[in-house]
Amino acid sequence: MATSTTAIPTDEPKTTAPESQLSIVLRRFRKHRIAMFCVGLLGVMLLLSALAPLIAPFPRDQPNLKARFLTPFSVDPAGKLHIFGTDHLGRDSATRLLFASRVSLGTAVFSTLISSLIGIVLGMLAGFFGGWVDAIISRTLEVVATFPTLSLLLIVVSIFVGNEKNIPFPTILTKTISFLFAVSEREAKLVLMVNLILALFGWTTTCRLMRGMVLSVRENVYIDSARALGASNLRLLARHIFPNALPPMIVDFTLGINGTLVSESVLSFLGFGITDPTPTWGNMLGYAQSYMFQYPWMPLIPSLPILLASVAINYIGDGLRDALDPRQKI
Amino acid sequence: MAAFLVRRLLQMFLVTIVAAICSYGLLYISPGGPVDQLLGEHQNSGRNRISPADILRIKQRFELDINLPIRFSRWLTGWPSGPLFGSVGTDWPVGCAIPGQVRLRYPDGRVETVEEGCQQAVTLGDLVGRKSSRGVFFGDFGVSQVILRDRPVIDLIGTRLPYTLYLMGGSITLALLIAVPIGVYSAVKQYSRFDYTMTTIAFIGSSLPSFVFGIFAILIFSILAKQAGLPFLPSGDAVGTRDYIIPVLGSIQAGSLFDRFLRFLMPCGVLTFISLAGWSRFVRGSMLEVLSQDYVRTARAKGVKERTVILKHALRNSLIPFVTLLAGVLASLFGGALVTESVFNWPGLGRLYIDALSRSDYNVANALLLINVVLLLIGILITDILYTVVDPRIRLG
Repeated sequence: MATSTTAIPTDEPKTTAPESQLSIVLRRFRKHRIAMFCVGLLGVMLLLSALAPLIAPFPRDQPNLKARFLTPFSVDPAGKLHIFGTDHLGRDSATRLLFASRVSLGTAVFSTLISSLIGIVLGMLAGFFGGWVDAIISRTLEVVATFPTLSLLLIVVSIFVGNEKNIPFPTILTKTISFLFAVSEREAKLVLMVNLILALFGWTTTCRLMRGMVLSVRENVYIDSARALGASNLRLLARHIFPNALPPMIVDFTLGINGTLVSESVLSFLGFGITDPTPTWGNMLGYAQSYMFQYPWMPLIPSLPILLASVAINYIGDGLRDALDPRQKI
Repeated sequence: MAAFLVRRLLQMFLVTIVAAICSYGLLYISPGGPVDQLLGEHQNSGRNRISPADILRIKQRFELDINLPIRFSRWLTGWPSGPLFGSVGTDWPVGCAIPGQVRLRYPDGRVETVEEGCQQAVTLGDLVGRKSSRGVFFGDFGVSQVILRDRPVIDLIGTRLPYTLYLMGGSITLALLIAVPIGVYSAVKQYSRFDYTMTTIAFIGSSLPSFVFGIFAILIFSILAKQAGLPFLPSGDAVGTRDYIIPVLGSIQAGSLFDRFLRFLMPCGVLTFISLAGWSRFVRGSMLEVLSQDYVRTARAKGVKERTVILKHALRNSLIPFVTLLAGVLASLFGGALVTESVFNWPGLGRLYIDALSRSDYNVANALLLINVVLLLIGILITDILYTVVDPRIRLG
């Protein structure tokens, strides 16, 4: 996010060529002050999580029973400073927070990417072809949407988590995940599992939205013209329908990231999703809650990043919505 | 209307069956399960080891020795409860009581015993006289397997339901009473400072996970208030077990009405805040839409007092879509309460569901999930019917 917005070429040659779509959107987006600030904020968080293994001051899982429950900015017996204190096992909270942001933000983005992909493809198929394709997809959608998501999510996660070792994921996949999320390969299976489950429950809104967009876009005259010129279905979908149906999808994707972030943290908080020793904001908050009566500062440390990330993502989504909607005057 | 109702009820029935199959199947394909859970809890409590005979008995008690489809059918409808038509198929095998054991001898000399085949089968005849549920369709959800062993699930739900109802009833009423005025005022004074503030609060409120609010509430109103010597709120459970002293308010007797009320305040407040954020935005939106209608302008032009225009002409019509939103609340608050109840250790249904899942008490989890799905479906149905009631232009067909 941060890089794509700051990398706008400002020294564009002054020609009378019409402004490109992208630069119009960026220009409009930059007018949304709070959203711009949030892009910066989220950018910093992403950067920190990307650099987690390099800048973390301590090993992630190293317990230190002589330095449990240290308050923020205190020094342990060995004379080392713990900026955010330590947890119930004496592990450095700042370190765990860095790694947790990698897992939490990573899960949010990765799993939303998968679910959006599923939703967009299915929505395009349903909207474009109609008939029995639409019937199958729409009915499935209705049934999936009828289920109480959180309750079902808890069931599915409680079944698969703990048994993820029996599921033969290809090694290349677990290796990639362990690299992306900075976790060991053993933990990668669990992380991947939770990601996939979240994606499997998240595609419905995207699919419904995409189907609606395709239904309205395909009625346009330019689609008929393209078809008359001999464009194949694939070309119509990829070249004409998809780009025109894209703007609401971008907003949906952004808000979806927040949805996944919240779902993952709820699961981990309740002890069902990604569990200790893999840190996530949710499970850090989960165990902080059990000690908050003796150490009231403990829950603040993981909940602040959740607060910031979640509000920032929503504001960015809001800004994008305004910027992408041509009817909106900014 | 009648045709619509029949079709919808049929659809609901189908979806409920699919949900039942899904949840039952999902829970039972998972390894582990109630027996393992019980074994684990037994060993942790330091009691005697469980013998194979005990395992057999437990399996029989919870029907874990019967094949999945038949077990499911017995759970759903109570059938078959014995040989068909009284005598047909007495010796048909329907499950396996003791799995057969095969000793595998590897070429390198290792010997391993694996379970294969069946040493002693369960037949239809064996099912006679088993105490089992009369079927979920007939309102019998079976017995709890782990949490309160051998107590009917329905009793367990019955003891928890009132707590969830207080919480939901209280928070919905409060949220309604606050959300509608805020929404109306925001719409009437659009783009005022009040409107902007409310927009921001609602925006932040709707983007955050509910447990963060819960934890912050505990942090501020219980822990920090207590440390500062101010009157504080007790942070968990619905009923206290010990008397406690609150500054200013004095000593509170555990279990008294006031104690219950104090403990009710925080979870109720958090749930209220969560629904408040969305609802006030919703009222604002629909109020703005109505205020720009021609008939509102006409009323104003005819010199109707602004107060009457807003309260009588606009508000009543703006609540039409809102009424339908409320029907969906029935089930959606269950999901919200799931998290809030566990943060505050509130002994409601959401908390029970989480307990049931984490301790593999499948009958309880299944029952709750099914009830939840049915509530959701009923909510959708009520929404559709309410549409026609509040807006006569809409016809169902």
